Amino acid sequence: MRGVLLAIVLGVSLSAYDAAHLQKALEDKECIGCDLRGADLSKNDFSGADFHGSDLSNADLHESLFEMGDLNDCNLSGANVEKALFWKGTMKHSDLSHIRARGANFKGTNLSGSNLSFSDFRGTKSWKANFTNALFNKTDFSDAELGDAKFIHNDLRSSKLTKTLLWRTHFSDVMMTKAQCAHAKKEEALLGANVMCY
Amino acid sequence: MKKLLVLIVFMSSLLHAAAIQSDKEFQQAVAKMGKDNKLVLMIYTTDDCPECAYMKHKVFHDKTVAPFLNSHFIVMEKNVHRNQLPDGFDYFGIPTMFFIDKTGTKKETIVGSKRAREFLSELHRIRGIK
Repeated sequence: MRGVLLAIVLGVSLSAYDAAHLQKALEDKECIGCDLRGADLSKNDFSGADFHGSDLSNADLHESLFEMGDLNDCNLSGANVEKALFWKGTMKHSDLSHIRARGANFKGTNLSGSNLSFSDFRGTKSWKANFTNALFNKTDFSDAELGDAKFIHNDLRSSKLTKTLLWRTHFSDVMMTKAQCAHAKKEEALLGANVMCY
Repeated sequence: MKKLLVLIVFMSSLLHAAAIQSDKEFQQAVAKMGKDNKLVLMIYTTDDCPECAYMKHKVFHDKTVAPFLNSHFIVMEKNVHRNQLPDGFDYFGIPTMFFIDKTGTKKETIVGSKRAREFLSELHRIRGIK
């Protein structure tokens, strides 16, 4: 009985979005500093929308478009963004931990200073994305495309870079494993200053 | 009325076909084919597109891709910022690759980059539907 109650309480807290905020997001295609926890924003066109400072934790954004969108300072932890497009958007200083992003496209997106720990970036396309000062802890980039992306001041040692495309990917002031460094060189990545291979 | 509608559809299809067929680069690509039954691979690019550079400099020249690509396709490039684009070949993302037969009929479209192995597999598939 306690278990059921706990599950109900947790369920409510995970999807306790503000209905008025959800309506605003869907109608105006923008919502600044909104409570959209667990909200369903999937398969929508939010191109150019401004969601900065919003709580989108555990929200469903799969297959939505956020081209040139502003998702700075957002909480997207645990969100489902599979097959969503974030082309040339900004997601600076956002919490993307535990995010499910398989097949999503972050081409030209600025993710500097964001937390991507425990996130699933398998098969994503992040050409020319900026990961400066981003936090990686067991982030899975298997089969992802990171060509011409920028990694500055990161620790990638616990992350997976299996079969990751790293053509002309820029690394500087980065900590990587020896295997990651070897893979990066094979992929013709650009290893700049202070790339430490452990 | 029905005849007029059919005529309009027929005329618009002629205009559509004429658009790519009047493109100089397309004409040159078709001329290069000679009697071979190749397809034109028209890739849309921009200067500031690493995915385009990857396809052009890496994948198209990959040792597993190049022989098949050169045997069955003629590659032509259109920079979407500098070149006039033919009617009926709209794009959503860059790079976009159109596969076109010598009559100007679009057979297939690929959006985005592909790794060499995956791209080769796509070329085989597209060659198959030719």
